[in-house]
Amino acid sequence: MGPLASTEQRIEVSCRSCGAQILFEPLQRTARCPYCDSPSVVDRPATEDRPDPVFGLGFVVTRDEAARRMRRWIRRRRMGPFGLRGRSAEKVKGVYLPAYLYSAAAHTSYRASIGERYKDKDDKSRTEYRDLEGRHSTYVADILVTASRGIPNDEIEGIEPFDLGVLTRYTPGLVSGWIAEEPSLTREECRHLARQEATAHVGQLLRRFLPGDSVRDLRHHVELVDESIDLTLVPLWVFAIRYDDEKPPIRVLVNGQTGKVYGRIPLSWAKVGLILAAVAALIGLVRLLVWLLQ
Amino acid sequence: MGEYVDRPEAKVEVLRCNGCGAAVSYSETARAPKCAFCGSVTRLETPSDPMEQTRHFVPFTVSRGEATEAYRTWLSGLGFFRPSDLASSARLESLKALWWVGWVFLADALVSWAGDSDYGRRKASWAPHAGRLEMPFRDILVPATRGLSETETDHLTSSYRLDTAREQPEGAEGETIVEQFDIRRSAARQRVAEAMGQLAEHRVKDGFIPGSRFRNFSAAILLRRLVTQRYAFPAYVIAFRYRGRLFRTVISGQDSTRIVGRAPYSVWRILGAICAGLLALALLIMLLSLAG
Repeated sequence: MGPLASTEQRIEVSCRSCGAQILFEPLQRTARCPYCDSPSVVDRPATEDRPDPVFGLGFVVTRDEAARRMRRWIRRRRMGPFGLRGRSAEKVKGVYLPAYLYSAAAHTSYRASIGERYKDKDDKSRTEYRDLEGRHSTYVADILVTASRGIPNDEIEGIEPFDLGVLTRYTPGLVSGWIAEEPSLTREECRHLARQEATAHVGQLLRRFLPGDSVRDLRHHVELVDESIDLTLVPLWVFAIRYDDEKPPIRVLVNGQTGKVYGRIPLSWAKVGLILAAVAALIGLVRLLVWLLQ
Repeated sequence: MGEYVDRPEAKVEVLRCNGCGAAVSYSETARAPKCAFCGSVTRLETPSDPMEQTRHFVPFTVSRGEATEAYRTWLSGLGFFRPSDLASSARLESLKALWWVGWVFLADALVSWAGDSDYGRRKASWAPHAGRLEMPFRDILVPATRGLSETETDHLTSSYRLDTAREQPEGAEGETIVEQFDIRRSAARQRVAEAMGQLAEHRVKDGFIPGSRFRNFSAAILLRRLVTQRYAFPAYVIAFRYRGRLFRTVISGQDSTRIVGRAPYSVWRILGAICAGLLALALLIMLLSLAG
């Protein structure tokens, strides 16, 4: 039981439309009445590790559009298991995923050897290395890290980026009728993930920032200050596709705003085997022909 | 950091349709809460990202008459490669006065830069340099208009005296359109950042990076302070017709000598000039070969 579990409770309320009992599961912010399907949103008291959401992004891609994009994406995955292409999703859910939006000022001190190309007296291409050291300060914004144990960060990175230019303030109206999760990772865990992502991003920025034709021995140290980290709800379509009764279903995510698709399709060893066998047969055939012609 | 909200118990909300009272859900097609029964859509309130309208209006100091005069002068002074009857045959179709919108920002920034220059080079033609400095930006104008093109605003921006700005639109005669801002704050920040980046590069190359030739220049900006204000700038947009084709000219509302626009070219005159040039070249070659 983590630090968040003890604060979770199931909430049972009467539906405001029909009076039936609605159950809000511990990590859910929304629920639909099982009898009249009216959507409701719950606002639990905020805590340090489960704060009120600050921002949200509305769904733009409809369920049909998401399904279409998902099917198109699957069709292109040729090395996946047999029978995958024909399958339709077993479960489709429109989910608002809790994520932390992180930004900070990054101060970097760096030192590197910058390579400058030139032609020597024999007109051969050579590189001259010059030392460069300096400081680089920039603002790192729009780092999004998952706050859900259910969907790890690399899957989110697969469907990023979101257009954060249309970020809006969270209101219950944004999530009404959808599945909206509460964070299951602590704020500190997420801050740590965000810092890692921010530092990596600054490293990439630094490489593009440095002049010259090449860089070697780049050493840098990043200091992140003036951090802000806000809970944000981002829209996702989650598809579960079952291609084999013995194996767990594959999860495919579709970005609920941009329609970008991501999923991890297992490699079909059967297909690999078949291809290798076909190649071997081809080689055998060629050798046979060569032998016959001799 | 985290905020504790003093609410002893959970609050459950059902969002109700104003039209029929049913519970509404957020609709991805409407991008707002929509009632499944009667179809009415409730706008999502976003009071924290207000698209406030203009606060500062730079007044018109050029009258419509002066603008028309300026356009006529401009048309006759365009040069040789225009049709000879341009000034006489062009017909003024419309003269519209408008206020186009933009931001004026003030910033203090920490600018980190790096680049190659020819200063300090040894075997190679380039040597790397880097630096970091505090850079102030004052009264920088960034257009936010959808009505005028980038070329047009580029020509107009330095013609305005920002210290003459008022809280209300002033100086216009007759019907004048005030453009509305329709760009969100976050998109505004991006444009302002771009403008700042370009200006920073220009200033560093001008005064801080040694050498006279540069390449691979990059600048990173960290803002210490940014104050952005919304302004509206006066301009006249003229549409004129020549031989059936429509052309557009824009004149600054504060300086009638600041004009930017398109006008027709005379194909015959251009061809004639090219032929004359080629002929002259041929003659020159002939003379040189005779002399040589």
